[in-house]
Amino acid sequence: MAYSEKLIDHYENPRNIGSLDKNAEDVGTGLVGAPACGDVMKLQIKVGPDGLIEDAKFKTFGCGSAIASSSLVTEWVKGKTVDEAETIKNTDIARHLALPPVKIHCSVLAEDAIKAAIADYRAKAKKEEPKEAAE
Amino acid sequence: MDHFARLGLPAALDIETAALDRAYFALQRQWHPDRFVAKPPEERARASVEAAALNDAYRTLKDPLSRAVYFAGIKGVELPGDGKTIDDPELLMEAMEAREELHEAASVDAVEALATKARDEARKAMAGLDGLFLANDKPAIRTALLRLRYLDKFAEEARARRMNIERSKA
Repeated sequence: MAYSEKLIDHYENPRNIGSLDKNAEDVGTGLVGAPACGDVMKLQIKVGPDGLIEDAKFKTFGCGSAIASSSLVTEWVKGKTVDEAETIKNTDIARHLALPPVKIHCSVLAEDAIKAAIADYRAKAKKEEPKEAAE
Repeated sequence: MDHFARLGLPAALDIETAALDRAYFALQRQWHPDRFVAKPPEERARASVEAAALNDAYRTLKDPLSRAVYFAGIKGVELPGDGKTIDDPELLMEAMEAREELHEAASVDAVEALATKARDEARKAMAGLDGLFLANDKPAIRTALLRLRYLDKFAEEARARRMNIERSKA
């Protein structure tokens, strides 16, 4: 099967591999898995005081397409607002990497991962608010 | 017709593998294309459909995990298919940590130790399935099967990791 240059590049030189402190208030963590293939993907964002995503990291144990999809998403979300990052669609990922049809589900996993990370970040931010109000 | 019925076996989590093999080989002879060479096209077509269904049934029932997943399906427990993600933070955390440990394991012994642990976990989870089916505890069956899938994948990755380490030493 012929894979695109962009896909191979992300697979061979993945961007932003690593972890952020999942307990930090400004970090959102998304952990998702595709049980059909046994893949597991962690994607984290760190949101700055200006509301922009200043850092993103991922760790994916899965096939090359899953690694490339998550690598691409970390690259895309940096510098975006959380709301903007939330609009990333799996179809954008699949198109950019020219994923073959049998690997489309890897881009779905990456979209779910960024959505989960954003949800986690928002849940933390919400918990923070009442505390501040009480002080 | 479900896979169990096709092979003339009672639908159950545990089956006698010798009986499965016997039933399969007998039916395989019955539907073998060689016996239909001189038959009309409809019969030939039917034989090839039957043979394919038979192979599918045998493959599914032979492996204990795929049999358990299939049996669960009959009992109304659906697992997420391709392209579906799961929301089970505990399982995902466990899977992520296990894969990280495996990734960091630098010796064959270290990989073996992790693989043994995973095999024990899988055996325990497999043994617990019977009781869950008896109690018809669908959410617990689902959780256990998903976990078994991850443990299965882990075993596969452990084999690959081991081969990598051995190759780099050679």
